[in-house]
Amino acid sequence: MPKKVVSIVVFPGSNCDRDLDIAVQKYMNVNTELVWHDDPNIKNQEMIFIPGGFSFGDYLRSGALATKSPAMKEVIRLSKKGVPIIGICNGFQILTECKLLDGALIDNCKRLFICKENFVKIENKNNPFTKNIHKNVVQFPIAHAQGRFYTSEDNLKRLEDNNQIVFKYSSRDGKINKSENPNGSMNNIAGIINKNKNILGLMPHPERAINFSEDNDGISFFRGLQNLL
Amino acid sequence: MIYRVYINFKKGILDPEAEAIKRTIDSMGYKTIKNISKGKFFDIEISSSKNTLGDLEKISSDLLSNPIIENFKIIKK
Repeated sequence: MPKKVVSIVVFPGSNCDRDLDIAVQKYMNVNTELVWHDDPNIKNQEMIFIPGGFSFGDYLRSGALATKSPAMKEVIRLSKKGVPIIGICNGFQILTECKLLDGALIDNCKRLFICKENFVKIENKNNPFTKNIHKNVVQFPIAHAQGRFYTSEDNLKRLEDNNQIVFKYSSRDGKINKSENPNGSMNNIAGIINKNKNILGLMPHPERAINFSEDNDGISFFRGLQNLL
Repeated sequence: MIYRVYINFKKGILDPEAEAIKRTIDSMGYKTIKNISKGKFFDIEISSSKNTLGDLEKISSDLLSNPIIENFKIIKK
């Protein structure tokens, strides 16, 4: 049987698309197609990834200009049909700017670009993206300057009530508190899903946790996504 | 015709850049500065007056600002 094909949308300034490509092919056992941002057609609709980087130089706001790309218009259309979509780092910023996910990702509270290994607790496994990860705390690196998750108090409550918060920054043993919050995100939020559970956005980089980090937790993340295909 | 679109953070959102600028001004010895809010503006030249404000409102809310975190204001220059 031929392998399924997963799409990765690439923008001018994306820089995690190749790492993601390797991780997806190797651990999801699929082929990939890189879709350039000005292509209005996304042929392979099994699953769509929006990679990290600095789309359009992060001009205006991170992810803002990418939302108007022809490929993103198609992503928005396909998202309504239930196609699984995952945005990592800049991809998460793009998905919030598109309003496919709640909230906004703004300057880290200390304005530093933070690049380091980090632990995130999986807050919710009642969704197709994390249900197959056995661990409760995973080690995924972060690398961002605008990763502080912000939303209104009402929206935050809604996210919590609907179990849409999937990842929170934590200690190695899963403690969630201010000292484990690298960027000032509300309630340590590192990743969320939409209400229909077909769109995931996360700031940490699982595609960078497949070779070098202690536990290679990215492998179980990508392997776990195979159930969506 | 030129319009200016001002964008700034909504109240209550921590802006670390504005805070750092405020701290520097404090260190310069000025005692009366209570608060600083940082923003940006765009000067937009328009060729026709038809639907101008409507279009500008849409552009401002749909692209130039993010309504979750920012307010915008349009003035004619």
